[in-house]
This record gives sequence, C-alpha cells and structure tokens, in this order.
Amino acid sequence: MSRESFKRLSNNIWEVPIDFKPGMNVPARILSSPELFDSIDDRVIDQITNVACLPGIKKAAFCMPDGHVGYGFPIGGVAAFAKDDGIISPGGIGFDINCGMRLLRTNLTLDMIKPKMEYLLASLFSTIPSGVGSKGFVKLSRGSFNRLMESGAQWCLENDFATETDLEFIENQGCIENADSSAVSEKAISRGINQMGTLGSGNHYLEVEVAPREGVFDQTLAEKFGVTVDDQILIAIHCGSRGFGHQIATDYLQVFNKCMGKYGLEVRDRELMSAPIDSDEGRRYFRAMACAANSAFANRQLIVSGIRRVFRSVFGQSDKELGIETIYDVAHNIAKFEKYEIDGREETLLVHRKGATRSFGPGRAEIPAQYRDIGQPVIVGGSMETGSALLCGTKYADDETFGSSLHGAGRTMSRMKAKKSTRGEQVRQRMKDSGILVKTGYMPGLAEEAAFAYKNIDAVVEAVHEIGISKKVARFYPVLNIKG
Amino acid sequence: MPYKITDAHTCADVGLSVSGETPEQLFADAAAGLTEIMVEPKGLENEKKLSLELEDDSLEELFYSWLSELIYIKDARDFLMKQCRLKIKKNNRYKLAAYLTGDNVDPKRQVLKVDVKGVTYYRFRIEKIEDTWQGEVVFDL
Repeated sequence: MSRESFKRLSNNIWEVPIDFKPGMNVPARILSSPELFDSIDDRVIDQITNVACLPGIKKAAFCMPDGHVGYGFPIGGVAAFAKDDGIISPGGIGFDINCGMRLLRTNLTLDMIKPKMEYLLASLFSTIPSGVGSKGFVKLSRGSFNRLMESGAQWCLENDFATETDLEFIENQGCIENADSSAVSEKAISRGINQMGTLGSGNHYLEVEVAPREGVFDQTLAEKFGVTVDDQILIAIHCGSRGFGHQIATDYLQVFNKCMGKYGLEVRDRELMSAPIDSDEGRRYFRAMACAANSAFANRQLIVSGIRRVFRSVFGQSDKELGIETIYDVAHNIAKFEKYEIDGREETLLVHRKGATRSFGPGRAEIPAQYRDIGQPVIVGGSMETGSALLCGTKYADDETFGSSLHGAGRTMSRMKAKKSTRGEQVRQRMKDSGILVKTGYMPGLAEEAAFAYKNIDAVVEAVHEIGISKKVARFYPVLNIKG
Repeated sequence: MPYKITDAHTCADVGLSVSGETPEQLFADAAAGLTEIMVEPKGLENEKKLSLELEDDSLEELFYSWLSELIYIKDARDFLMKQCRLKIKKNNRYKLAAYLTGDNVDPKRQVLKVDVKGVTYYRFRIEKIEDTWQGEVVFDL
C-alpha cells in the first residue's frame, strides 16, 4: 500500500486524505511516532479508512499509537457519529464491551510486601477466579442481575462491595445511563449471571505493581493521583464484561446483519455492521451495550472487593490501614454520547472508542472534582513483563481526538507465533529472575503474553505525550501477576 | 486432521480452517476444533449429553449460530463438547439438529487453555469448492 498521499500534519500525526479510497466521508488520522508508523500494518490503514466511510462520521477517523488490526475498527480506533444521521456499530466497540482498567493505590511499599509475596500471589489466585469457565463468588438472582446491569457499580455499593469513594473514581461513576435489561437476550443473561467477579482469560490480568521514584515523570500530577511514596504498591486490573458482553455483541451483530438492507446501509467490511443510532435496532443495541458496560464496571468492582479481602487477611490490617483506594477506572471498549463543537456548533455525538481510553482534560464536569483542575487519569496496560503507565488527560485531546488516547502497548505478534518463539516456563523463569512472580491456570498461555508479543509501552506512551493527547505521569513495574 | 487451528488475521485471537465432504462433517469438525482451542480434548469425559436445534436463513448464518451456540453452552451450561452427531435439512430455512456428548468444565481434571468468547465475521466464510466444503472462522478470545 502506497503511503505517498498521506499528509504529515505534525511530527506524530499522519492524515490519510479523503480521496484515498472511494466512499470516505472524512480523512483518517494516524497518531504515531516515526518509528512506530513504519511498522503499522497496512490492514490497520485499510480498517481505519473503512471507518472513515461510515455514515454520519464527523471530523476524522483516528487511530491511536497502540493501534493494531481488529475486527471492523482497528484496535486503537476512535470515531464519532452524529446522533441524527450517524450509526452505531458493535465493530467500533469490540466484543468485550467495557473491557477496561482499574488502578488502585495502597499505603504499602515494596519492602512491606516482600516477605509475603508468594502467599499474597497464591491468595489472590485462589480468591479471584480466572480462566475458562470460571464462576464468580457472587450468587445473583435474576432480579439482582437486572439491577446490576442497569445500575453498574452502584449495585456493588448497595451490596457492600464498594465504597462511595470507589464510585466517585470510576468513569461515569460506574453507570452508563439508559441501560435497559429488556434489550438483553436470555442467552446473554444466562452466560453472564455466574461470571461476575471473574477475571477471564487471554490478555486479562491482575497485577501488583511498584512505583519507584525514578518512574515518576510528573511529581505534582502523581501526588494528585495519590502516588506519593517511593516504591509504593499499586494494583492494576484488566478485564471486561466477560461472556455477557460477548453474547450481546454476538446477538446484535446477527440483528444488524439482517437489518442493514432495510436502512440502505452498506459497509466495506462485515465486521462494521451497523444500524442508525436513531433506529429501533440501534437504540436497543445501545441500551444492551450499556448493560454490558455496567456489568463490566461492577465486575471490576467485585474483583476490587476480593482484593481488599485478600490484603486484609494476608497483612492483618484494616482497609483504612491498607489504604486500597481507587485512583480511577477507565473503559477502553465503549460508545458514549458526548458533546463536541463541530464547525462552531455544539453537537451530541456517539463517540466509539475501541481499544482507546477517554482522556478528558482539565475543567470537564465529567471527571471527579479532585482531578478537575488537572485532567482525568489515563491508565495504560502493558504486557505482564513490562507493567503499566499512568497518564493524564489534556485539553488538546478534547479539541483534537474527541477526548481520546491510547489504551495499551498494542499487540504485534500472533499468539501462535509467540508460543513457537518461547515456552511458558521460560517466560515464568525470566519473570522470576526479574523479580516478578506470576501464576496462571495454563502455562503455555504465558508465552502468548510475553513482552516481545507487544509494542514497547514506553514508545507508545512517549508518542501520545509528544502529540499532547495525554501527559506522562508515572510508570509502574510488575511484582506479582495473575494471568487470566 | 480435518481442521487446522491457525494464526488469526488479527494477532490477539485464533483462527480455524476446516473442510469436510458434507456440511454436517464441516460443522462437526469445526466444533471439534473449537473444543481443542479451549481445552485438551483427551481430558474430556463423554458422559454428559445435550440436544440442540437451530435454524437460520443461510448455511453460513447457521454455521455462525452453531459455533456461537457451542460457546454459549460452555458458559451458560458449563458444557464442553467432545463429540457430536448432527443433521442439517433445508426447507424454507436451514435447520440443524445435533446430539452432543461431552463434559462439564472442571479445572481439576482438564487442561483448560483459553476462553473463546465469540465468533467474529472477520473473513468468515463457508463454501463448496469442487466436492469439498470449506470454512474459515476467527474466534475472539
């Protein structure tokens, strides 16, 4: 694929012009670094320019620096659609609706947990279910599950699995409005009802991390987010809506497959199947998608509740002494109605973020009061060998990318190739030699998630920092990892 | 082997290429491939039984529904398929009747690999080429 027609808007932004392929309604913008740009798969360009062809899309289709091939949208794809004549597409949200990250801080330091590392890892592994067919520790009635999917993390507060402070520091306070359980199939309910409080498998994980002083890029912002002490212990959770969200995506892909003709919608890729936002099918999918998003907020909160229980038991300290508090919880597979200025006029748009994180800057009413003068936390998950990064949202993101930024390191190698390159036991030993203890139900799965299967997290973080859509705050390094 | 587990076209997931002399064989072999992605099949008992009936407008949509159903019963009914017998008929629509034997999910007895969570439409296809039915599917993990 020739990239000669791409216009370099800045050192880190390439624009694919509207005449790149027939049917594009807006240009596509690739956010990257010169080094990462050369390694972007042509299929990513093909996918993001397909997104630019969708009806009602505004301004541009964006691909973040961690972008890689997905279904329909690339992972790292962001697009906003007009409410009146735009579309909603499961392929722009992902199967794992509201897959996201929760980051917790603690009052502990590395020296304090070192004597109990193996016991802590074993206790977390036995308390937080993971892997194929795992069942959650919460038994839900049908009525309770309906309430959970419509109210999200609020259900956890009502049932003593959350604090009010937890809710304050979850995107949308852990509840997307207009969730309607009547838009959800019986199948989705029966897949999801026993999975609340589970991690899942694949690239989902629970990680205990350390924040060394030398990993802090911005002391003021780090302190504002509660990262205040050298070698402070943090906990990162990466998971989503489990089988519940996947069933909702499957159900509505089948609905959209059959109804697109009725609305005269044609897409360049079947995975971009869509319905008008303003249609019965589109509205029902949004309501069901909101149920899945809420279940994911609740799922991560239930895991937090399990983590607190483990830490209380292992360290013999109270919640107050341990200080396990939510820094923030972000969704990185979701569609949300947000207001932006388009051609001098404020419009409500449905922003699709697929493998992309909201990155609202200072002053936005949607972010917690405590962070409103600096911007929201942006949590970036890396591979299990390299840890994660904390960034901060910016006004530039609000103005340029519909308040969006990256979500992770971005995968570059297939699972099978990774397994051919190394064995799980070798990865485990290498991690142990680096001071990281890991536990999983399926050892070859470790090879699939090895660091070399991902882009360099520091390179993608540096790219968004340079572009200005998020600001670097701190890097965290893993010490314990449970791979789902 | 009538199926081949492949590198997915996206790096995060897993694909399956399958062929068979009849649609029934194609469907059964794809189901066996799906099981092998999730679990070591030799660790599965054959004691649980399940009957399924599905129908759809096209054979391709039926193939999608069939694989989605197997993922669904893994989560909702705790059932991992080991073997199946199935029949597909076409009247106005395509109808599938299947009889499955398999096992409940049990990490103590089985080597569980990775949780397959959805069937994608990414390069999804089923077609008859000369005398052989061929299918391709990518699963979301």
